[in-house]
Amino acid sequence: MGRRVLLVEDESLVAMLAEDMLLDLGCEVVVAMRLDQALKHLQATEFDLAVLDVNLGEARSYPVADILFERCIPFLFATGYGHVGVEPAYRSVPVMQKPYRKEQMEALLQHLLTCEAIPQRSDSGARAFPCGCTLGSKDSGPTHIRAD
Amino acid sequence: MPTLRRGSQLHETERRLNAVLNNASVAIFLMDDRQHCVYMNRAAELLTGFSVGEVLARDCPLHDIVHHTYPDGRPFPLEECAIDRAFPENNQERGEEVFVHKDGHFYPVGFTASPIRDDTAKIIGTIIEVRDITEEKAAAERQRLLTNELNHRVKNTLATVQSIAAQTFRNVADQQARAVFDARVTALSNAHNVLTEANWESASLVGVVERAIAPHALAEADATRFELAGADTRLHPKVAVTLAMALHELMTNAAKYGALSVPDGRVAVAWTLADVEGREQLSLTWTETGGPEVTPPTRKGFGSRLIERQLPLEFDGSAAIDFAPTGVVCRLEIPLTALGWHGQDIVAGRPAA
Repeated sequence: MGRRVLLVEDESLVAMLAEDMLLDLGCEVVVAMRLDQALKHLQATEFDLAVLDVNLGEARSYPVADILFERCIPFLFATGYGHVGVEPAYRSVPVMQKPYRKEQMEALLQHLLTCEAIPQRSDSGARAFPCGCTLGSKDSGPTHIRAD
Repeated sequence: MPTLRRGSQLHETERRLNAVLNNASVAIFLMDDRQHCVYMNRAAELLTGFSVGEVLARDCPLHDIVHHTYPDGRPFPLEECAIDRAFPENNQERGEEVFVHKDGHFYPVGFTASPIRDDTAKIIGTIIEVRDITEEKAAAERQRLLTNELNHRVKNTLATVQSIAAQTFRNVADQQARAVFDARVTALSNAHNVLTEANWESASLVGVVERAIAPHALAEADATRFELAGADTRLHPKVAVTLAMALHELMTNAAKYGALSVPDGRVAVAWTLADVEGREQLSLTWTETGGPEVTPPTRKGFGSRLIERQLPLEFDGSAAIDFAPTGVVCRLEIPLTALGWHGQDIVAGRPAA
């Protein structure tokens, strides 16, 4: 893919797995494991894509999502809880069901890039991707392991 | 002497006291020296189901009205009652009991009893506060069940992962890789054992270190080869798990290439806890001696990556592995995350870390 991806994931071993998947997909990866690190990286670096774990210990990754919206950088959430694990205001963001799977990651990232899913703020204040990004917005298939 | 005449100061005081007592949500009983109830407030009437008039008319110890039967149905004689028997000598005598409601149902209560003294300090009665703790009991029970379920599920999930790996890689030639995998899952499982001991709130640092260096889940660490030095503290679960995995990787490396690969090799694990800018910081050093001459690895493996890269990222600390010829030395600096449940900072009005 050759894209620079910000990966925000707070579990060491899980971050290593996701990083390897992104590297295998040909991405350049910057890993942040804490909210403050992620915000710092966003200030310092340009990114093409981002993958955000929702729960970062005691913090949530929504402040990162807000900046990505402002900067029109496409991104997705990764959570073990599926769509119910995401605040309603961010429901338009594609959700990748944990555990991370390479095919799922690749399909979602490709989708984000090819559908020109540039996130925008709508008049209602809700955040939405113009394409609707229905991909991954519902549980598709029995291979999903649900954590809820 | 003050009188109870209407309009007197005493009458006004009584009116105020009644307002306080009857609006209190805790049940309050005033007992005389025969354990008879001489006063109970509105909350006490609601709690017991009896009106103050009914209780006074019975003219018997309060115990025989609200505490007469054990939950298993046996009669509960007054002599066995902790509340009444111990005419409390001390203020704020506390405990838990199970009362019987007027309609016959049992309910758990928490009580606080304090003596009432006359002018000569002689005890002439008792004041008892009683709270219905049904909700608290139910919540504690739910919590206990959930914790048990969590312990059970985590262990089973890890065992299941191990089994899946065993089945999946049964015919794969590289059995060594499977052994390494098994050992890592076991290390993870051991770290969780330490966490279950304290209801997932925290783990003992000494416990984490001891489990990590014990060769098997139930084995003791070999005291002749290990030297542990440092005070115990409580670790946040995340720190505990990552530290356990890091120590496991150091162990594995030492057993394969380092000090533990020869009979005379030794490992010292020493740590200190210091206050750095208001946060407790753990400085831990792993030192191998007496092993074969160390040559730095040609490529960084999982262990190095976990320790040198992930661990500092995860905890804003630092980590360095020195492959000195005399023995591997690993230094970890980990600022310890404050203990507490998720969201506690937010509720307490502090910014989330």
